[in-house]
Amino acid sequence: MKPFVRRLSATALLTTLTLTLGCAKGEDDTSAPSKGAKDSGQVAAEPTAGAKSCDLAAYGGKKLDLANATVGFSQSEKEANPFRIAETASVKAEAKKRGIKLLTANAQSQFSKQISDVQDLIAKGADLLVIAPLNSDGWEPVLKQAAAKKIPIVTVDRKINAKACEDYVSFIGSDFVEQGRRAADQMIKATGGSGQVAILLGTPGNNVTTERTKGFTERLARKAPKLKVVFKQTGEFAREKGQQVTEQLIQSKPDIDGIYAENDEMGLGAVNALKGAGKKPGEVKIVTVDGTRNAVQGIVDKWIYGVVESNPRFGPLAFQTLEDFGKGGKVGQSIVIKDSAYTPANAERDLSKAF
Amino acid sequence: MTEVAEAAGTRRRTGRERTRLTAWLQEYGVYAGVVVLLLFNTVFTEHFLSAENFRTQAVQVAPILIVALGMALAIGSEGIDLSVGSVMALSTSLVALYLGYGPWVALLVAVVGGAAVGLVNGSLIAHIGVQPIVATLALMVGGRGLALVLLPQLEDVRDPGMRALGSGDLLGVPYPALVAVVLVLLVGFTVRRTTFGRQLLAIGDSRPAARLAGLPVRRVLICVYVCSGVLAAVAGFLATARLQASDPTSLGTLMELSAITAVVVGGTPLSGGRVRVGGTVAGAVLIQLLTATLIKHDLPPSWTQLAQAVVIVVAVYAARERGKR
Repeated sequence: MKPFVRRLSATALLTTLTLTLGCAKGEDDTSAPSKGAKDSGQVAAEPTAGAKSCDLAAYGGKKLDLANATVGFSQSEKEANPFRIAETASVKAEAKKRGIKLLTANAQSQFSKQISDVQDLIAKGADLLVIAPLNSDGWEPVLKQAAAKKIPIVTVDRKINAKACEDYVSFIGSDFVEQGRRAADQMIKATGGSGQVAILLGTPGNNVTTERTKGFTERLARKAPKLKVVFKQTGEFAREKGQQVTEQLIQSKPDIDGIYAENDEMGLGAVNALKGAGKKPGEVKIVTVDGTRNAVQGIVDKWIYGVVESNPRFGPLAFQTLEDFGKGGKVGQSIVIKDSAYTPANAERDLSKAF
Repeated sequence: MTEVAEAAGTRRRTGRERTRLTAWLQEYGVYAGVVVLLLFNTVFTEHFLSAENFRTQAVQVAPILIVALGMALAIGSEGIDLSVGSVMALSTSLVALYLGYGPWVALLVAVVGGAAVGLVNGSLIAHIGVQPIVATLALMVGGRGLALVLLPQLEDVRDPGMRALGSGDLLGVPYPALVAVVLVLLVGFTVRRTTFGRQLLAIGDSRPAARLAGLPVRRVLICVYVCSGVLAAVAGFLATARLQASDPTSLGTLMELSAITAVVVGGTPLSGGRVRVGGTVAGAVLIQLLTATLIKHDLPPSWTQLAQAVVIVVAVYAARERGKR
């Protein structure tokens, strides 16, 4: 009898949980982006003179009409953060708009899975590939396979270490160093060019972290030597970490003038910390990079001074590049996109453009 | 001859003194560590001695401490619970899903979720005989997976009650810290004064002996992991209130390591049979102060990890000496 009762209570506990899942009720989401939000696709920055280009003759292979082709898209990380969500959505939307057959795969942050994902996409008959790489290295086996079939590859948001126009056609992405420089410009404007600023670094060892830091510190040293970086700690690109680190910062350096967060999430964590410490909106100038809806709303609410955009909407530009290439036209080997920025002047107007 | 005898005597004496020192270190080292860090910061860290600062540290240490309490129970039963970080993530997902009914219902569902994970952990260990490290590793991987299925992306918390819970206080003591204190007293009482506590320690000491003595080994083990799951769920709830968002991707990552560190540094032996609640509290505070000190002095983040490693090695070394005796 007794073991029976025990087993029964255990089953009851588990079924209660499963059943209650059926009647989940989240909060009413009032701030969700409206379905008709403006999708601001990317625009390539003006090509600098002498930039290398690539065409069919140089890469090898035959002409392809994109309208009848199958495109494979390999995403690197789970669509759990706004950037990845917007990136995948943009690729899917563009394929739908053009009526192209799209195969997708998600590597869930495991590089070995991404390699086999891409191999699968090739096996399933993808004629062209769009890859958002998790790593820069380790692509040889796949690239060889693709090269044997002359499949054109475009990598988005991260570069891979291989020869452009030989192992892949082109790379489309933001210039992270430039993003850092533009964040520095906003910080200089916000603080008047003097005082003390803190940096919330991204994940250590990540190229995005290194480049966004490099651009920021170099520009500060050159343009505003009186604006000193007095604090540099990692928030690992996460809101919770950003909040915890800022809480410590605000206790030991209460008169800090500005905080540069290398992504929006850490910046929002910093806002939480400042609120908790009883600071007023705008007392500490926060500049972040990404352009998520929450952060741009933060500018409207006066807690964040500025946001440098890192546009994740690769769909239109990636497909345009592949179309031009398939027709036999010349495309750039490295296409740097033009990121916009959100400031107190345009935040309210452009809120719908945020992702 | 007498010289030799004297020398041997001295050697014996210093040897005894050394064991006494390590025994003292084992027993009180963690408190000494906390005091040293407090003194260091008082002298060298700007604005350290302020109520605001202590409040910040208390709020930040609360989730680590609550999780470490459950971990101490698991380790005391000669087990371990690696799933605690994932249970925090699961808890935050459940909170987001049920916040529409208000914070208390959300807390209840999260606690039931944590208990369910603990039940699975405990059943695998007690009934099927899976090693605790393997069973809870499975739930560590699966738990976060489930959390992300339930809530695929970060969601903001707007419930005013929940927000107040994360940022409010009672007579100057922030709510998360208050909850932690209550739970410390509760777990301390359970370990020292209840039959369950005694049975847990007896099982941790020697499971075969406990079985021969007729103790309900399986039931106690299941209860241990259910407790750990519930505590982790509460920690996840409090962390959600403080962050004012549910973030199952990053909430609670590496929490199991912080909790194990707090327990081990606090002097609870990994071989089971003993639970030091006071030591665990001091261990959690020590880790928090260490992290805070390194951040406040703007040292590279990798130093934090190195410093934690040194503390763990010292603590384990002291425990080893003790075990030899």
